[in-house]
Amino acid sequence: MLTYVARRLAELLFVLAVVLILAFAAGRLMPGDPIGAMLSDRAGDAALEQRLRAQYGLDAPVLEQFLLYIRGVARGEFGFSYRFVGVPVVEVLGDSLRISPLLALSALLIAAPLGVAAGALAALRHNRWTDTSVMAVMIAGISVPNFASAAFLVYLLAIRLSALPVAGWGTLRQAVLPVIVLALQPTAYIARLARTFMLEVLAQDYIRTARAKGMRERIVILRHALPNILVPLLTTIGIIFGTLLTGTFVVETVFNIPGLGRQAIQAIFARDYPVTIAVVLLFSFFYAGINLIVDLLYGVIDPRIRLEARR
Amino acid sequence: MGQLSAKLVVAALALMWTGASAEAKSLRLNITADPSQMDPITESELIAGDIIRNMYEDLAGIDKDGKVIPVLATEWQASDGGKTWRFKLRRGVKFHTGRELKAADVKRSFEALLTPALKPGASQVYLKDVVGAKEMLDGKATELAGVTVVDDATVDITFTKPDVLFPIYPVRIFDTDVLTHGADWFLKESGGTGPFQFVGWKRGSEVRLKSFPGYWDGAPKIDEVVFVVVPNIETSLSLYETKELDLVEVPPSATRAVLHDTRYDGQMLQVPAAQINYLGMNQTKYEPFKDKRVREAISLAIDREGYVKGLKGGAGLPLYGSITPGIAGYAPVPKIPYDPERARQLLAEAGYPGGKGLPPIDIQATPVEKDDLAYFADQFKKVLGIDVSVKVVERATHIKQMNAGEVAFFPWGWTADYPDALYFLSQLWDSRSPYNRVRWKNVDYDKLIDRAQGEPNAEARYKIYAEAEKIILDDFGMAPLYVRMQLWLKRPNVKNVYLTPFRNLPFAKVEVE
Amino acid sequence: MSALEIAPEREQDEFRRRFLRNRNAVIGGVLVGIAVLAALFATALAPHSYTETDMLLVWGEPDAQHPLGLDALGRDILSRILVGARVSLGVAAAVLTLTLSLGTAVGMAAAYFGGWIDTVAMRAADIILAFPELIFAILLAAVLGPGIVTVVLALSIVWWPGVARLARSLVLGLRHEAFVEAAVASGTRPAAILLRHFLPNIVAPLIVRASIGVGFIITAEATLSFLGLGVQEPTPSWGGMIRDGLTVMRSDPYLAIATSAVLGATILGFNLLGDGLRDLLDPRARDR
Repeated sequence: MLTYVARRLAELLFVLAVVLILAFAAGRLMPGDPIGAMLSDRAGDAALEQRLRAQYGLDAPVLEQFLLYIRGVARGEFGFSYRFVGVPVVEVLGDSLRISPLLALSALLIAAPLGVAAGALAALRHNRWTDTSVMAVMIAGISVPNFASAAFLVYLLAIRLSALPVAGWGTLRQAVLPVIVLALQPTAYIARLARTFMLEVLAQDYIRTARAKGMRERIVILRHALPNILVPLLTTIGIIFGTLLTGTFVVETVFNIPGLGRQAIQAIFARDYPVTIAVVLLFSFFYAGINLIVDLLYGVIDPRIRLEARR
Repeated sequence: MGQLSAKLVVAALALMWTGASAEAKSLRLNITADPSQMDPITESELIAGDIIRNMYEDLAGIDKDGKVIPVLATEWQASDGGKTWRFKLRRGVKFHTGRELKAADVKRSFEALLTPALKPGASQVYLKDVVGAKEMLDGKATELAGVTVVDDATVDITFTKPDVLFPIYPVRIFDTDVLTHGADWFLKESGGTGPFQFVGWKRGSEVRLKSFPGYWDGAPKIDEVVFVVVPNIETSLSLYETKELDLVEVPPSATRAVLHDTRYDGQMLQVPAAQINYLGMNQTKYEPFKDKRVREAISLAIDREGYVKGLKGGAGLPLYGSITPGIAGYAPVPKIPYDPERARQLLAEAGYPGGKGLPPIDIQATPVEKDDLAYFADQFKKVLGIDVSVKVVERATHIKQMNAGEVAFFPWGWTADYPDALYFLSQLWDSRSPYNRVRWKNVDYDKLIDRAQGEPNAEARYKIYAEAEKIILDDFGMAPLYVRMQLWLKRPNVKNVYLTPFRNLPFAKVEVE
Repeated sequence: MSALEIAPEREQDEFRRRFLRNRNAVIGGVLVGIAVLAALFATALAPHSYTETDMLLVWGEPDAQHPLGLDALGRDILSRILVGARVSLGVAAAVLTLTLSLGTAVGMAAAYFGGWIDTVAMRAADIILAFPELIFAILLAAVLGPGIVTVVLALSIVWWPGVARLARSLVLGLRHEAFVEAAVASGTRPAAILLRHFLPNIVAPLIVRASIGVGFIITAEATLSFLGLGVQEPTPSWGGMIRDGLTVMRSDPYLAIATSAVLGATILGFNLLGDGLRDLLDPRARDR
């Protein structure tokens, strides 16, 4: 078991190293450059441009820049932002490091119980009206992209009915719409899976035995059926959390939330290399890290996986 | 469940917070993004300027009518044909740090603004003609030779060539002692002379300034100014309606809706911006543009009224010249009619009847201008039969290409940094300027600009401007488009907010009832 | 009529019958059909030119002439939505083709030949899969510059590893089947084995995977367009139109809402169709 974990960790580090190289390369390969973005309309002054380039070390050969950067990362410094002159990257990211995970977690905490309940319900009323309608809503939920459903909900709830604020972040009311929008797809996804798993479990012998023994339906469901779907669902929920963590940027953009995702987009567009690389690294770390944890959990739960030489 | 109670606690705290600050008189306005800089040295951006202007001042400024007034300098006198300026400084001006402004501070500020290690922004452009500036920027000197401290309230500045407009250049004076607090001093200290001082900057959220009771023009009547980061205009308008924002800048995308909304009657501030928008036709990149008739045809094929009304939501004025109204040196010019018939005629005379024979051309700009590009492409195709394709390019690349004279056809603008029309005329159409993106060249024009730069008498200078402007307009060096109308919403209980062609004056006199 | 002729016909008929009885497949099929028709015949179906501007009709309300109203430049929204279908579906088709062919080829080769081919291929796949999908696509799009080719390339690069992994595990599952050993014993070349023996047996799950994936690809393209990295003006894209519509939601909601509805319905159609196909082709496949 330990060797398995060690091996997976090593792989994770290897992957992150490659991600670092790719992110660095991507930044340097992008058209337009941070000096140009900084100078903006003043970019006609060649002397000024050269001076700035030298100040930021951007006139050194790429390899040298890369080595310098690695050295910095090893020391725990991620450099200074290009867009916010003189401000350390870590400070630029600041609050957003807290906001995005909070947003993702809130969405998950709504999606998971709701999805499981909806899916289980649909399974119990298999092929009856409830099943069809719940599944119809769920599949619609998966289908409509974040920003599209945001458009509808914002129009309906915020503009037409003025029930909720249009955007922003800081109050509970402002959190409602973004969290709902973010939770739509995961809920639907989890519901479909829960339904499938539930259907399988309900067809099992031990359920039939329990029912035959005269156990109350509620006990059968809660004590025998549900727990058996939670385990396989757990890994999916873990993966969904990973996707949520790294997929908040659309919602953040639409609702004007100062989160990590929006920072990433803005940094990329502004050619703010240090921030871009830091965010990409962070996201990859979250994503790969969660996948690793999920895999390990799965390995704990299902011993067959551990024994397999290759995935 | 824990999540819910945690949120309730946060909400309760938030309520208490807002309750507490309700006692303080604050002016809250929106900014569409975080500023890129927060200090006068690296300053080079519009949003940053809005904030920094309230903390740091220059030798001269403008009043609510756009006229130049003394600020940190009370008078200035040119000598030696404009090569030397003597400034008399205002007495009793205090910095936020407590010290009093002396002539030595002017010298030290300039030096800081020319020190490469401090990454100076736009200011180095305005100081580059001071004797010794080049040496400082090249790192060869640490003292600015051209600035002489005569006494505590007098300073002489010498230039390598005459610069009649130097006093109105935006060059900030500050207490250079703050620089000792490290590279990010501006996140902790405030070293200006302005009515407000820096308190804090929560990235993505807000920038907060508090009033400076020792301000030389009298302590501000409000306690703080909060610039709230709100990229989304919908949100800004909502916040305005719930009184959480007192002042809202309305971007072009929302002007139509706001102008037609009766709820905002009497709450709108509208002033044309000191910003011209023109259509550039680079003769060196597209042969047919060499023919004046083709250029004139393009200009006549633009329906400026429709463009302003439709695309800009009515928040603008058609522009027929190269100078915006409200700026010193402006004089009205003849209107350019929307004349498709004549335009087609001209094109035919030039040898391209119905647009036949004209090679296809790209009209290029950044994603922000995509609607304008689509409109022009369609318009020229409709009216003149020219095959125009839209090309959208990333901003920094586009600017680089324009500056290199590589873009044949582009809509772009230019905002005046200081209150004089010479800015437009010298920066854009002088063949020696790096910002002459259309690569239009006229020797007589250049000569006029030189004369203007050495002419200290304002009236005489303005006459030269008119002459120069006539040259470029008659030659159709570019096609003027429109002047943007700044549109701000101001709550009725807020007084003394002054919108000028150069954006809002610092909020020194604002009162909130 | 010999027995040989009857048998294949019945298989097709049976499939068609089962298809028509599957609600998901039918509804999905109809929606997808509409979308495909719109994509193919957009310019013919569109009542107006999708580039023609009219400054007097900017943000006009819907009426008989313009059933969905007009946009910021006075262009007909319905026409632009129809043309937008070309982009969304075209990109999806291109990405599908690329990822299916590349992914399957790589996956099969990795599984069959093993060794360093397998290691290299799967390492590459792992690295790409370690990146959160959309961030990677955005980064790529930023490097390559916006445009339709960029979007196709970026999405293809992001998606082929998943297909490759699936193909690989499917082939691994079949490696020890009798027909494989027979083919190897008779000296058939590896390429022929892969193409003629493995491929037909793994096609079904791959198709199911593809049909479920189309929805994601369309969403991803719309997201990239939403961020401004996709197709450029004046070509309309659904994502871009929704973004433009969102900025003026308060006063002119039609653009955002109509386009969102169409985008949602299209993806819904593909998802339903995918579900239906999965039921028909491989009922034991788990939802992924």
